[in-house]
Amino acid sequence: MTVTAVGDTAVVTEPRAPRAVRTGRATRIWGQVLLYAVLIVLALIYIYPFLVQVATSFKTDAEAAADPISLIPTVFTWAAYELLFSRSDFPLWFMNSAIVTICVTLGRVFFVSLAGYALARLRFRGRALIFALVIAVMAVPGVVLLIPKFLVLNQIGIYDSYAGMILPLLVDAAGVFIMKNFFESIPVSIEEQARIDGAGTFRVFWSIVLPMARPALITIIILSFQGSWNELSHFIVSTQSPELTTLTKGVASLASGQLSQGSQYPLKLAAAAIMTIPVAVMFFIFQKRIMNTTQGALKE
Amino acid sequence: MTTQVSKAPRRTGASGLRRGEGAAGWLFVAPVIIILGLFLFIPVLMALWVSFSDWNGRGSPLSSSVDFVGLENYAAVTTGGGLAERNFGISLRNIAWYVLLVVPLQTALALFLAVLVSRAVLRGRGFFRTAFYFPSVTSSVAITVLWLFLFSTTGVVNEVLSWVGINGPNWFNDPRGIFHIGFGAVGVDSAPTALGDSGFLGISWWDWIAGPSVALFAFMLMAIFTTSGTFMLLFIAALQNVGIELGEAGMMDGASAWQRFWHITLPQLRPTLFTVLTLGLIGGWQVFEQIYTGTQGGPAKTTLTPAYLSYQAAFQNQDWGQGSAIAFILFLIIIFFALVQRWVLRERPVSRRRAAQYQVKGQKP
Amino acid sequence: MTRKTRAVVGAGALAIAGTLILSGCGGSGFDDSGDSADGGLTSSDDALSILIGSSGEAETSAVEDAVAAWSEESGVEAKVSVANDLNQQLAQGFAAGSPPDVFYLTDDVLAGYAGNGSLVAYGDQLENADDFYPSLVENFTIDDEFFCAPKDFSTLALVINTELWTAAGLTDADVPTTWEELTAVSKALTTGGTVGLAFGAEYPRVGAFMAQAGGGLVEDGTAVANSEANVEALEYVKTNLEEGNFAYAADVGAGWGGEAFGKALSAMTIEGNWIGGALTNDFPDVQYLVTELPEGPAGKGTLQFSTCWGMSADSPNQQAALELIQYLTSAEQQLAFSEAFGPMPSVQSAAAEWSEANPDKVAFLNGAEYAQFRPNQEGATDVIADFNAQLETLETGDPQQILDSVQANLEAVVG
Repeated sequence: MTVTAVGDTAVVTEPRAPRAVRTGRATRIWGQVLLYAVLIVLALIYIYPFLVQVATSFKTDAEAAADPISLIPTVFTWAAYELLFSRSDFPLWFMNSAIVTICVTLGRVFFVSLAGYALARLRFRGRALIFALVIAVMAVPGVVLLIPKFLVLNQIGIYDSYAGMILPLLVDAAGVFIMKNFFESIPVSIEEQARIDGAGTFRVFWSIVLPMARPALITIIILSFQGSWNELSHFIVSTQSPELTTLTKGVASLASGQLSQGSQYPLKLAAAAIMTIPVAVMFFIFQKRIMNTTQGALKE
Repeated sequence: MTTQVSKAPRRTGASGLRRGEGAAGWLFVAPVIIILGLFLFIPVLMALWVSFSDWNGRGSPLSSSVDFVGLENYAAVTTGGGLAERNFGISLRNIAWYVLLVVPLQTALALFLAVLVSRAVLRGRGFFRTAFYFPSVTSSVAITVLWLFLFSTTGVVNEVLSWVGINGPNWFNDPRGIFHIGFGAVGVDSAPTALGDSGFLGISWWDWIAGPSVALFAFMLMAIFTTSGTFMLLFIAALQNVGIELGEAGMMDGASAWQRFWHITLPQLRPTLFTVLTLGLIGGWQVFEQIYTGTQGGPAKTTLTPAYLSYQAAFQNQDWGQGSAIAFILFLIIIFFALVQRWVLRERPVSRRRAAQYQVKGQKP
Repeated sequence: MTRKTRAVVGAGALAIAGTLILSGCGGSGFDDSGDSADGGLTSSDDALSILIGSSGEAETSAVEDAVAAWSEESGVEAKVSVANDLNQQLAQGFAAGSPPDVFYLTDDVLAGYAGNGSLVAYGDQLENADDFYPSLVENFTIDDEFFCAPKDFSTLALVINTELWTAAGLTDADVPTTWEELTAVSKALTTGGTVGLAFGAEYPRVGAFMAQAGGGLVEDGTAVANSEANVEALEYVKTNLEEGNFAYAADVGAGWGGEAFGKALSAMTIEGNWIGGALTNDFPDVQYLVTELPEGPAGKGTLQFSTCWGMSADSPNQQAALELIQYLTSAEQQLAFSEAFGPMPSVQSAAAEWSEANPDKVAFLNGAEYAQFRPNQEGATDVIADFNAQLETLETGDPQQILDSVQANLEAVVG
């Protein structure tokens, strides 16, 4: 029996055979084919730009302008890459990005899991306030911090140095949030057991709880790596010497025509392609984890 | 009858298994507090001070020679009547159109992709998820460089458009507003006097309704391209949690697929929708890196965003007070919209009239 | 107090304490600026740091060699760094309290730094102060103080692609000397894939036409942006843009006029003498000649561009910096730079020798007699940036309206 509303009165009607059930096999198959067709077209739109990027980096300047769509260069040339590695500071940029990313990732994993554990498990005065502040900080839009971060780095004296590039990135509020949520899901009994056996707080954290947190830690590693490798605005305000330029800042300057005037697309696209490789590799290796993170993030 | 009330043992600090916990707790969160405090909290306070002062860029902003000037910087940017106000007005117009169009589009696209991918029965699902999510992994610099290439005058997009006979514009160099182009197509080429003469923040109303420029439109496409993947993942996870029973009940009652989606599935996605919209709003209002890498505000200032204007005012024109003021105004705007959005999407109790409709005649509600 | 209020008060107290500590840390030491009012320059044994914005390897090596040579002679160490983004790095350097001692300073940012006391006005203390072209000295003088020595300069001239010229059936006699001739020649040179004349959509190019019409932005300290002469000039450019004889470089798919010229997207362009180096590097096969810009209703007119050597007021060794700048702006050194990467010397004594060595570029030098320069008042840069933005829509816009808004903005700045 179904109840449908007609005006203010309720009308009871007998059930009609629902349309969906009457779909024949043929219709369902066509539905699936259409679905896949749409998906494939969309996937193509999403993937094609990257294929074109790699292909164009092997073309000559003239061909890139004349025939942008083709994926196979008529004249395959390494010229863009040669130019990139010999006439610019690209290797230096790569090294700087690598240094910063590795330091930040290691640091973040350590500090964020420490703080997450403390907020989840340890009882101390002001715990709730600290957690509230961490959440509040997540809400601050980055734009407000552009100018003042520069001012603070200046005042402290670490402007234009590796310390200035790395220190502010060492902690990430979202990471604390993720680790806290994860630690709360670990049964307390394991820790209680360890304490009964006489382990101190840090020992419990380091040897017992942390190894169990591998999935969350891997998530933090991926997010930190990606975040610091792709970071740009922080490096704009924290450095000025050419020796400290990272990949993001360097490629951004390439885009505005630093190396030579004129639009040299193969060169710029080669730089962008190489820049994407490390994050892409991380992504493909750890895909499954990334896909699962978001499910975890929803269980608030 | 007496009951014995046992007091729970005090667990703080001194005794038993949890000794030293308080100190350890503080020690563990100390790095986070120090770094967040130093590089997030204090900078915000310092910026607030600079926005209320006349610091000119030399020496420390906290030195004694820097004076408090009240709301002067804010006034210069909102009511000053000069170029500062006009630039701010232009940047607000640009970003308002950007957010207005990007947030719904990227949310809808992400939801659409999520629904499609969730329906795919075979193993292709993993491949499609990867394909749609990959752009979100790349850095904004790399994507901007790629986009500058794709949308150049002789680029991929214009070539594809030429296959269907459309002569594509010089995307990143075209300052015409897309709505102005639309108006032009129906014959309205210049401002009607009512709209042309008066304005807000130094921009005439005619220019306010110009819509995003062609260049900004290209950036919008880029934003949708890179963020739809992340939000798609959120929606996929949420869709997996949607109960099947409700959908089947709907099917039993004769609801079509679209009705089922709109009235059953979508309401259950409300929390995720809220998250996606909030993240989209917060991200959209703050566009900076793409502009810095790509067009630096051009052509004709139509890709100028408040965040980039703040950077430009401070780092290039040495107007640190105004730059900070612009940043804080933007902050307030973001908070405002996040709150509005929260209010709009709040859970509302079903009205009595509505509830009455679902009762069988004769029965009490 | 409730717990929440206590928490908030506690957080606030922490914040205030932190800020006070920071102000203690950073506040000292910047309260008195370098003393330069009565010509007293600082002197010490510190090495000099020099920041330049290079146009390429040629310029970088030339400057480095010159500085090294001076270093040996004078015994003062000096290091040259090349900036990614000169103005941004200067701004950050000054705000950080550690600016370079000597640096390239463009005329558009001069007023800002002069205004906040970052610079030393050492111009009058140079031995060769009288040797600089008067218009250049004026360009870098604010409130009667000659702030910095121009390191070289350039003017705008008309660059013509000789191959396309002869292919269109034009001869030497057709080289345009008036606006009408320019239009005619551009029309003749415009073919399917090539436009007659292309240039950047900005005041630093369109301003040449304004000068030729007898206009300009600032005259004797008054803003004259919306004068009839300027309107005439913009109308002329607009008409030609509409007819397709002229085009903006961006509209033909090039980043600047030189690129459009080198790729044969245009047969002519209006550029400064940096185009020589760019063409040799990127488009060596293009044959071209340089001639003075055609006369407008009021005669000849062009724009000049120059960069000067700025000296920071925070520098501990200003005496040595002065000597270095003197060395770098001497006639012989400037001629050496010119040979290396092509700019024109800013000193009159080098003019004859330069003309001999660069007979094909004499048109640039001749422009110095009647060249105008950008307004250098504080805030003028923003006005010009806004003007540039409006010029981009000149083809569909209204010149009078554009110039009226520029006039309004300029009056606010020039006072």
